Amino acid sequence: MAQFLQAAAYGVVQGGLLGLVAVGFSLVWGIMNVVNFSHGALAVMGAYIAWLLNIRFGLDPFLAIPIVAAALFAFGYVVQRSLINLVINAPIFLTLLLTFGLSLVILNGLQLLFTADDRTIDTSYASQSFAVGAVNVPYGRLAACFLAVAITVALALMMGRTRLGHAIGATGMDRGAARLMGIRARHIYAVTFGIAAALSGVAGTMIATVGSFNPTTTPGQLTLDAFVISVLGGLGNMYGALVGGLVLGIAESIGGLLLTGTWVNAIAMAVLIVTLIIRPSGLIGKALYSGRVEV
Amino acid sequence: MRPEPRPGPIAAILRGRGRTRRALLGDWIRVRTLANSWPALAGLAAFAAMLGLQQLIAPGTQRLLTAVFLFVALAQAWNIIGGYTGYASFGQVAFFGLGAYTVAVLMNNYHVSFWMALPAAVLVGVLFAVVIGVPLLRLRGHYFAIATLGAAEGAREVINNMTSVTGGGGGITIPTFGDQAPTPYFGKPGFYLAFLVLAALSVVVAASLARSRFGYAMVAVHEDEDAAGAVGINTTVVKVVAFGVSAAIVACAGAFYAFQQIEFYPTDVFDASFTVLMVIMVVIGGSGSVVGPLVGAVGLELLSQFLRVNLGSFNQLIFGAVIVLVVVFFPQGVVSYLRDAWRTRHFSVLDNVRRYRL
Repeated sequence: MAQFLQAAAYGVVQGGLLGLVAVGFSLVWGIMNVVNFSHGALAVMGAYIAWLLNIRFGLDPFLAIPIVAAALFAFGYVVQRSLINLVINAPIFLTLLLTFGLSLVILNGLQLLFTADDRTIDTSYASQSFAVGAVNVPYGRLAACFLAVAITVALALMMGRTRLGHAIGATGMDRGAARLMGIRARHIYAVTFGIAAALSGVAGTMIATVGSFNPTTTPGQLTLDAFVISVLGGLGNMYGALVGGLVLGIAESIGGLLLTGTWVNAIAMAVLIVTLIIRPSGLIGKALYSGRVEV
Repeated sequence: MRPEPRPGPIAAILRGRGRTRRALLGDWIRVRTLANSWPALAGLAAFAAMLGLQQLIAPGTQRLLTAVFLFVALAQAWNIIGGYTGYASFGQVAFFGLGAYTVAVLMNNYHVSFWMALPAAVLVGVLFAVVIGVPLLRLRGHYFAIATLGAAEGAREVINNMTSVTGGGGGITIPTFGDQAPTPYFGKPGFYLAFLVLAALSVVVAASLARSRFGYAMVAVHEDEDAAGAVGINTTVVKVVAFGVSAAIVACAGAFYAFQQIEFYPTDVFDASFTVLMVIMVVIGGSGSVVGPLVGAVGLELLSQFLRVNLGSFNQLIFGAVIVLVVVFFPQGVVSYLRDAWRTRHFSVLDNVRRYRL
């Protein structure tokens, strides 16, 4: 039982972090209909920035977050404005390919700069933990989880309460009408992608703090997780991404307890496919919008 | 002449309704001219040239060309479902891996000869395509892409965990030497021939499908699925058959690849980069034509080998940059761009970029 509770607790804190990984991905997919294959690469890019700041200047990863977010936002804005906007109206696999090529460039660039070694950001507190009954909760993971939830809530509030959020939502619902209302779609798309890149970079920083990362296996795993979570939660739905992340995190940690080998991965894929077939709008509520008008 | 038996729905689509086979053959012969036969003649000449070339080239070049033939077959297969039918499958590597593992398991565990295992591999590929195709082909756009990606990842995990049958993550080895070998190893020249024939067959299958009634049905589904259904095309049958044909070619390629590699791991034959390469080759060449994937596969595989040899650790970086640039400048594919530019005498690349711009 203690083992079970421990797995559940680990699943919850891991799930929050996974939600943060997925929320930007879900936003880009929901608003722009772009499946961003470079999402994991952006996360690893953020992780490297925080890692560099840490070993050069001894900056705490939590304090590095604003710098990482700003850098990734700028990068994402430029990428969307100068590349992805050029093929946004093309058949879907072109945006997939473009972001895939982009991730190849980013990851191999990072690998040339920093080698393919596993890296981790060392802090004094990340490996410490406190006990609640028989359950150990590591400080680092708990802080990362809280941060993830806070950012997701802030993003959801931003989308619902601010002019920028409304502009993003409107552009996602009907780009033609939004442009007629004076919304600069190119700029809004670039901002959306920038926000997603920043969130991804923050998630990467957190992953580097509580675990380790490398430019070869981490990005693919993160992108795949983001796929599964976005589909579970419903596209463009911020809280959905959080719920999807929690579901995946808990399912993986408890599944890892009950099943041998990597059967849990096979089951995650089966859940993904069944969800797509039965309820493509996600587990909770509905996606941000069901009908989409292409202009 | 005995009366034709009433054709089933698939046969009817494949052949054309209400015409006897002899009448169709007569039509076909009557309309042959140099103007519409030259692609076939050129293909035949290229095939013969590749056969002759084998005697002249070094083993290293032979291996390079073998890889090119493999990707020609894979690109043609992806083009059938992704290009003509418009369903961007990101899980075609599942059929590759399943074909490879069917052959390896049959040859290693049951000492079945390769030539018996090959049809079994194709059958497994087609069966899997039908089983996942019927539910998944109801999804459209990104959803289909993600679902097939998930199916491929799931298939890999299942193979990975069936350790008692497949050897799991420890890999599997096909016995190729001495008395243990159910079929003697082909060697480099043998695999050159095998993959050449596979590539040629895939081109022939794709070309004849594209020009058949079934091919028009695929394009109709691509253009507007609801309209295609409204004019009496059974869209489900068309999509599943296209998926199955594509899977058959990919599984066949996987079977040959497995025998060529002798020893491999689930991560090798279920490597998602196979799928991505198929898509890139088709898109860069030009989807929805036979020449496009052919040019894309040959060009990209030669380019990637060239980069690997000459640029060392920078090769993947440059490869990624090439993908980005081609997607931005020639979103409809290089072959399609050249064809349209030639027809309209309008060669501006900048206008081409504007086509899909926001």
